[in-house]
Amino acid sequence: MKLEKSQTAQHIIEKISATASKVGFISDTVLSNALLQIENVGIPNNKHEDYKYCNIDSILKKEFKNIEQNFINVTAINEYKIKDTITLVVVNGNYSEALSDKIILKGLQVHSFANIDSSANKLISTIADVQKDVFIAMNTAFCSNGFYLKIQKGEKLKMPIHIIYISGSETEALVNSRNFIELEEQSEATIIEEQILIGQGKVFTNFLSEKFISKNAKLNSTLFQNEGHLGYSVNTNQIKQEQDSQYHNHTITLSGQLVRNNHNVLLAGQNSEANLNGLFYSKENQIIDNHTLMDHQAPHCESNELYKGIIKDKSTGVFNGKIFVRKDAQKTNAYQSSKNILLSDDASIYAKPQLEIYANDVKCSHGTSTGKIDEKALFYLNTRGIGKESAKKLLLRSFAQEIINKIEPESLKEKITLFFEKNL
Amino acid sequence: MSNEILEQQINSEYKYGFVTDIETDTFAKGLNEDVVKALSKKKNEPEWLLEFRLKAFRYWLTLEEPKNWAHLSYPKINFQDISYYSAPKKMPELNSLNEVDPELLKTFEKLGISLEEQKRLSGVQSNIAVDAVFDSVSVKTTFRETLSEKGIIFCSFSDAVLEYPELIKKYMGMVVPYTDNYYAALNSAVFSDGSFCYIPKGVRCPMELSTYFRINSIGTGQFERTLIVADEASYVSYLEGCTAPKRDENQLHAAIVEIIAHKDAEVKYSTVQNWYPGDKNGKGGIYNFVTKRGICLEDNSKISWTQVETGSAITWKYPSVILKGNNSVGEFYSVAVTNNKQEADTGTKMIHIGKNTRSTIISKGISAGFSNNSYRGLVQIRKGSTNSRNFSQCDSLLMGDKCGAHTFPYIEIKDKSAVVEHEATTSKIGEDQLFYCKQRGISMEKSIALIVNGYCKEVLNKLPMEFAVEAQKLLAVSLEGSVG
Repeated sequence: MKLEKSQTAQHIIEKISATASKVGFISDTVLSNALLQIENVGIPNNKHEDYKYCNIDSILKKEFKNIEQNFINVTAINEYKIKDTITLVVVNGNYSEALSDKIILKGLQVHSFANIDSSANKLISTIADVQKDVFIAMNTAFCSNGFYLKIQKGEKLKMPIHIIYISGSETEALVNSRNFIELEEQSEATIIEEQILIGQGKVFTNFLSEKFISKNAKLNSTLFQNEGHLGYSVNTNQIKQEQDSQYHNHTITLSGQLVRNNHNVLLAGQNSEANLNGLFYSKENQIIDNHTLMDHQAPHCESNELYKGIIKDKSTGVFNGKIFVRKDAQKTNAYQSSKNILLSDDASIYAKPQLEIYANDVKCSHGTSTGKIDEKALFYLNTRGIGKESAKKLLLRSFAQEIINKIEPESLKEKITLFFEKNL
Repeated sequence: MSNEILEQQINSEYKYGFVTDIETDTFAKGLNEDVVKALSKKKNEPEWLLEFRLKAFRYWLTLEEPKNWAHLSYPKINFQDISYYSAPKKMPELNSLNEVDPELLKTFEKLGISLEEQKRLSGVQSNIAVDAVFDSVSVKTTFRETLSEKGIIFCSFSDAVLEYPELIKKYMGMVVPYTDNYYAALNSAVFSDGSFCYIPKGVRCPMELSTYFRINSIGTGQFERTLIVADEASYVSYLEGCTAPKRDENQLHAAIVEIIAHKDAEVKYSTVQNWYPGDKNGKGGIYNFVTKRGICLEDNSKISWTQVETGSAITWKYPSVILKGNNSVGEFYSVAVTNNKQEADTGTKMIHIGKNTRSTIISKGISAGFSNNSYRGLVQIRKGSTNSRNFSQCDSLLMGDKCGAHTFPYIEIKDKSAVVEHEATTSKIGEDQLFYCKQRGISMEKSIALIVNGYCKEVLNKLPMEFAVEAQKLLAVSLEGSVG
């Protein structure tokens, strides 16, 4: 779909392209395709079907007029650490070896894009197609660095990896952040990705993660977003699964002025399984937009999705999930569910669960429901002497618990619970 | 499962594919302002209507043919290659049925629609008033006198323009303005005829009203308008049927249906759409681009759409309800069947504006052959529409491994007291269900018909009796034995 290029947000593209310093991890063909895509599409506005409820063009135009990349130099990250995990730190889009833990774990390799070998370099940009989304194209064209993480064949990591993406600027700034995570055959890992914003300036982050899960490998991951009212981000998670692999993800968004998550899972091998769980809580005038795509290409795969949203004040919540079953993906089981609670009359929720199915021997379903806090449950708690406010909190907590309870490890679960309760 | 049975299905004939040999008065192909003017002149229309047409036409010229968003693929339509008016000759001033061309009578007889009122008393369709539209014009409206005794107006749109201009001026374009979309603009410019119905205050229409559309001429498009106005506390049940001859070319049908329900009024609109769907290679068939919308204008009103869609090469149709009055109710029940190379993108829109409004959506899609069948629906709860409720269920059944079934619901909620639920499933006919039927001595084909009918029952039950029988038969024919 070709759209009129947005003229005014053009300065943003120019700004990033001017500050970009290439390391050369993207091939020239991919790069020129990416630039062409940006040229053709521009930054999407609400006329673009995929960005209908999330007008990034107008938000960028309004909020990012004077971009001066006054980045803060992060020196300590101890307060963000989670115990019994290996910490990796990405500061303003650049992998910081100095702040990260020493990699002593067997089977784990981490390199910045600047110094990876050619076999790994070939993988970059093979999962995230620049033609699919303009933010992928923008990241591919302008991202100057990133990191590559590999779990070696047959290795089951003993400790979870905690990746902290910390950004901060005293003025308006733009950050491109990128990584490639590869799980070789029969490996297993738990990865926690956390996005943190510091400083006084608004930051727009274009984040892209490519994850390749080989045969029989298993990835358990959590994306925790809590950037506050200065954080604007588009986060693309592009997953490719080979046969017999497993992918579990929890995407928890507790704040952010604009958070757009594109979570695309490609089930490319037989017998693979993907589970996506999501919880988002928007307040004030925030926009939290979750887009998921389950692309069933191979037969005998299974996918499950459960997204829950709490929408407060004047905020907007979006859930757009698509189950796409290709012609040869027989015996697919795909389920999707989205549940939302509106807490205010000024809040909006837009849900668009979609099924697009080309194979006949499948079982696919989706369901979505939206409502308010159950009056009867509230009344029940009131009659037991629990005040209105605390009863409401109790009910919201139990609503969120279904997602939070699935998070591993325990220490992360506790951290997220704490932040969630603080928010209520 | 068995190619043989699929084969049979594919070869099953479209029953209404014949052509009536009748002398017609047809415009040359092409579309420009002169055509619009000539059309208006032909129908002796008042100045204001011509103005309306021209405004719509000029607006249409500024639009681009929509292509991107619907899950459909078809070649670009050449709007200059269509004749915008075709009417059987010998038309003027029909005083009795004897003056109607006997060929026409035969045609409708063959379609099972009797235009003779006396016969109906003994016939099967005993109590339905029909407005029969043949190509661009209404040939006969039955029971007009009987209905007018109760104050009900039921006549062709052209007659209504001349006889009840005030009503037409007031209501036409109220729900579907000419600016609404590409095909609505086109229709507003070139509509040739249609039906008009007005039910006065407190009247319960004693019989089913019906419009029957027939495309006959080659190279023409059919553009008709239906306008139904139900005044306070009235009730009407309205039926619509349609067929077309088998041809290798694609013919365009772009209609508008508008329904206005005043306080406490109820309108029930049922369609059995059986336009020629094209042959097994996807050659020919009708392009059906229809804008249907009703408004529950005042409190406690109700509009219900029921549709059984089996025909058309391309279907693009979203019968909608705007729930403006408090406590108003909107319903949408649909069965859409696609086979061979048919494509359907159909669904509904429920716009909740008033308080305590309720809507129900039940959609059953069945795809077979190489077809694609999509449900696309919008449920919108606007701010201030407190305590509104929606329930949607969209099920799809896939037969064969070369077809597609898709669901694209849009849910937009801006009021916290709203309760909205949506469910969708996609599956095939269960082997166990088939096995159960077969071991009880029911043949494969009958088992499938049984299961499909059971699957669609929720919707078929909503149809008026005469239609329900027809719809069940139609389903059986459309899907005879096709299972993958």
